[in-house]
Amino acid sequence: MEAKPSSTSPSTFVDQLVVPGDVILDLSSMANQTIKLGGGLRQDGDSISVMKAGNLRFTKPNKYWVESSHKRYVPNAGDNVLGVVVDTKPENFLVDIKGPALAFLPVLAFEGGTRRNIPKFEVGTLLYVRVVNANTGMNPELSCMDANGKAAEYGVLKEGYMFESSTGLSRTLLSSPPYPVLEALGKKLSFEIAVGINGRFWVNASQSSTVILVGNAIQKSESLSLVQQKIYLEKLLKNIQ
Amino acid sequence: MEYVSPEGLRLDGRRPLEMRQLRAELGAVSRADGSAVFEMGNTKVIAAVYGPREVQQRSQHLNDKALIRCEYTMANFSTGDRMRKPKGDRRSTEISLVIRQTMEACILTHLMPRSQIDIFVQVLQADGGTRSACINAATLALADAGIPMRDLVTSCSAGYLNSTALLDLNYVEDSAGGPDVTVGILPKLDKVTLLQMDAKLPMDIFENVMQLATEGCKAVANYIREVLIENTKQLENRRGV
Repeated sequence: MEAKPSSTSPSTFVDQLVVPGDVILDLSSMANQTIKLGGGLRQDGDSISVMKAGNLRFTKPNKYWVESSHKRYVPNAGDNVLGVVVDTKPENFLVDIKGPALAFLPVLAFEGGTRRNIPKFEVGTLLYVRVVNANTGMNPELSCMDANGKAAEYGVLKEGYMFESSTGLSRTLLSSPPYPVLEALGKKLSFEIAVGINGRFWVNASQSSTVILVGNAIQKSESLSLVQQKIYLEKLLKNIQ
Repeated sequence: MEYVSPEGLRLDGRRPLEMRQLRAELGAVSRADGSAVFEMGNTKVIAAVYGPREVQQRSQHLNDKALIRCEYTMANFSTGDRMRKPKGDRRSTEISLVIRQTMEACILTHLMPRSQIDIFVQVLQADGGTRSACINAATLALADAGIPMRDLVTSCSAGYLNSTALLDLNYVEDSAGGPDVTVGILPKLDKVTLLQMDAKLPMDIFENVMQLATEGCKAVANYIREVLIENTKQLENRRGV
């Protein structure tokens, strides 16, 4: 986001919990180095301060950001998200991605998309899309193609069901090593899942009972500790056999 | 009437410089993007934050910053005598405005142009200092929603009765007719965002009373900080990070 000189030593606040207003770095005491700031941090004159509650992260050589979990999503270029079509315009589809503004999905942003074959989406269609552009002051722009112009995994998600989650849960679902709950469910059941980093996930399976079970288990597991998760899953999986 | 006994105790048994018990809880409203309950003694307030989301009324659309809206209501059962109050009376309009202006001072509105943030605060139990309690609850709810903020605004009131400066007035002391100074500060930046006083006070005494209220704000800030950190810690533990 921004570049500024800093010292060689990382801040003492790294991996600590921070709240808005905390000053994590003092630039005046630092010389000739560049640091990169991610989400939740801002530069205020000669200091770097926090604007969201969360955990301060640092990766070498020079990246800082605040990791937090919320119900709302802040669009970032390159994110894979689940969006719901809200409206259709001649040039764009308007898609809700839980952000501060509706996102635009150009009607030509599909593999082999031309004026002749514009896809028809009804209001309420669920899409797996990529955020291409996210500038402040503009609506975010989406695309149904990867960087090479291929459809890849993007597009309409037919059938199945979409569940809401926090952005933190979405991130853990996508993290590696895989989320233990997801792994345990995957060993017993066969289902399809698509996770959007914007706090939504979609589950599909041959039986609707499996969809409900998987969705509820994931949603419920967020408020459980690791041990509780294990017990809960054991109980759950025993019941279905 | 005697508000401070010769032994130096107030009507509810506190010392003049003593605050009431604080209690706060995050995530009280499941539908909202951020919410909090804040208690100062017997005063209990619930706050819910929605957004940043699309601006609902086109005419209110702002191109360079987010639109902040605030609504303050008092539940019918919040006061001693149960009354049906008309919505939007003078008092609640004024307090809505005060809360909105205080929160606008700390939210980084320029980061979310063309969007709207709604803050709803409702008083569940009124025992003096509802204004302060509402601001504290709104801060917590905003932090829970992950809205970028300069600092955590906190507020506290102080008064002057029986030639003694009193911190955090309750209903009886509030309605005694003496001066009531409500202060809101940004604790880390050490800036005042709100200062209200009804009645008159000599200059030197006013300074003392305001100093006292500021100290109260700092104490509230420490507590709010702890609550937030505890909440973030829980979110992380649960996800097994």
